[in-house]
Amino acid sequence: MLLRHIGGLLTQPKTEWEAIATEQTAVVDLLRSYIAILAAIPPIAGLLGTTLVGWQVGEGEVVKLTLRSALNIAIAYYLAILVAVFTIGKLIHWMAQTYGATQPLGRCLALAAYSATPLFLVGIVQSYPIIWINYVIGLPVLAYTVYLFYSGVPIMMEVPTERAFLFASAVLAVGLVALVGLLAATVVLWGIGVAPSFTA
Amino acid sequence: MTNAETYNYTVVRQFAVMTVAWGVVGMLVGVFIAAQLVWPALNFDIPWLTFGRLRPLHTNAVIFAFGGSALFATSYYVVQRTCHARLFSDRLAAFTFWGWQLIIVLAAITLPLGITTTKEYAELEWPIDVLIAVVWVAYAIVFFGTIVKRKVPHIYVANWFYGAFIVTIAVLHIFNSAALPVSFLKSYSAYAGVQDAMVQWWYGHNAVGFFLTAGFLGIMYYFIPKQANRPVYSYRLSVVHFWSLIFTYIWAGPHHLHYTALPDWAQSLGMVFSLMLLAPSWGGMINGIMTLSGAWEKLRTDPILKFLIVSVSFYGMSTFEGPMMSIKTVNALSHYTDWTIGHVHSGALGWVGMISVGATYYLIPRLFGREIYSTRLIEAHFWVATIGIVLYITSMWISGVMQGLMWRAVNPDGTLTYSFVESVQAMHPYYIIRLLGGLLYLGGMLLMAYNLSRTLVGAKPVEAAIPAPAH
Repeated sequence: MLLRHIGGLLTQPKTEWEAIATEQTAVVDLLRSYIAILAAIPPIAGLLGTTLVGWQVGEGEVVKLTLRSALNIAIAYYLAILVAVFTIGKLIHWMAQTYGATQPLGRCLALAAYSATPLFLVGIVQSYPIIWINYVIGLPVLAYTVYLFYSGVPIMMEVPTERAFLFASAVLAVGLVALVGLLAATVVLWGIGVAPSFTA
Repeated sequence: MTNAETYNYTVVRQFAVMTVAWGVVGMLVGVFIAAQLVWPALNFDIPWLTFGRLRPLHTNAVIFAFGGSALFATSYYVVQRTCHARLFSDRLAAFTFWGWQLIIVLAAITLPLGITTTKEYAELEWPIDVLIAVVWVAYAIVFFGTIVKRKVPHIYVANWFYGAFIVTIAVLHIFNSAALPVSFLKSYSAYAGVQDAMVQWWYGHNAVGFFLTAGFLGIMYYFIPKQANRPVYSYRLSVVHFWSLIFTYIWAGPHHLHYTALPDWAQSLGMVFSLMLLAPSWGGMINGIMTLSGAWEKLRTDPILKFLIVSVSFYGMSTFEGPMMSIKTVNALSHYTDWTIGHVHSGALGWVGMISVGATYYLIPRLFGREIYSTRLIEAHFWVATIGIVLYITSMWISGVMQGLMWRAVNPDGTLTYSFVESVQAMHPYYIIRLLGGLLYLGGMLLMAYNLSRTLVGAKPVEAAIPAPAH
């Protein structure tokens, strides 16, 4: 069970990274027994939150999504997370040579997937979809995720700490750009009519 | 080669110190108006403390006082060092320093009094505009005069960026500020209606493109190779992206006027050029990142390198975000929302702020001949500032997209779902977080001011002899 790493990643990241670095996990195993399971938390929580709990804007009435609309979004959300994690794994693999690392794809994907663990878990708060509360809880978790990633790069990619700092920063910068691209793409899709349907 | 010839460091020192001073002032005003958006009562019903009057004071102070002083300081330093020549004229250089400080003081008096042309980033009234033009021409004479008397045949690429910035800002300022004075403190723009808007945003976007980009790329091309102690990754790329950047930027202004009275074809043209702009912008980013990437061994001991890395990363991010936001469909949602504010600040705090800070930390020890008081304080400054930027940008993303969605939401019968004030109410938590981000960034600046003042106490100005050029 790869899920047993969760506890260590949250309590003693450096030791856990060293343990992970001794394993040779295949890409398929990683996708099936770690990413596919944990990546389901945010979409399921979001599905429950947007259909059953709903949210309020200011003093307005409670807004919810129709089940059909929310289900479509949840599926798209799940696929987007899977694609995002896999793409970041590929990205690390692709950039590795510039920073003097030669790890196989499985190692790079493991770095991406295990780093994302706190974000997967905090997805549970989306079952209570008040955006600013999600944001306030999410920020420190995001900060820890970034820390986890920075501490994981030198161990998993076996490069000196300073070089790993640059490596991790480069991956993070590309990730930030991808986030902005995703935001713009969502707005364009929404603009041409693929908007969710709301119920009061 | 006589030892008598030295560089003019006096004016560089003056501008470098004022960079820090104006940075603190400008960001303090920014934090105060951010607090006003959280607690509107903070204007105390005093006219000159209202948001509408302090906001232009904030933008003018950070762009022209903080950013401007950084550009003057670095360009005077770089042009002398790379040309192996003393500044063309010490007296003219001193005139640009005192003239520029006078302009800033005049801005700080007139803007809170409500004396304004109402043109964004060009609010100052015509007598100050005339003074700006005079100082700027003097700046151009000092800069290009120094290039003319250079001792090395080659003109280093940083000077090309500084030169383009100086020439273009002169043209933009003079054309956009053309106005008919009706009294000493009131004038009307020489252009009418949509032409005025078009000229304004031709100016406004190129203030971003040339003042806040080309000039700061000049900083990047000198200080990154210097601090990393290695040559520019690709000199050819630097020349190619220079020419493509200055050709493309000048056309991008109409994206500020999407869905206005401006002819539709002009809007589309502005959008296309904004999208094309991604390529030359990223040319610069790649050159900066790749130059820094080879200097990784120095990271442990050199926090200045971290400022430079983060700066170039934010340059890459915001120059990607900009073209995205110029797409008409995206702009229909993002325009007039906090998303724009967040975008501007990822460029301003991330790119312009971080690289100015990095360059100032580089300059001060060399200008005053002693080590920085505390490297650990620089490290602390770096982390505080970076966290501040992240809080600022993420909160503005969320509040911006929420505003856009709320403003366009309509009920089945065609009425608006939300009143404007409901959207204001929904912004409250994000405005608190934005204020926190701004406070952190300002806190970093205060650390810097303390650190540098401890460095300066008792220090003697350095006189540097001009070395003979290597051939």
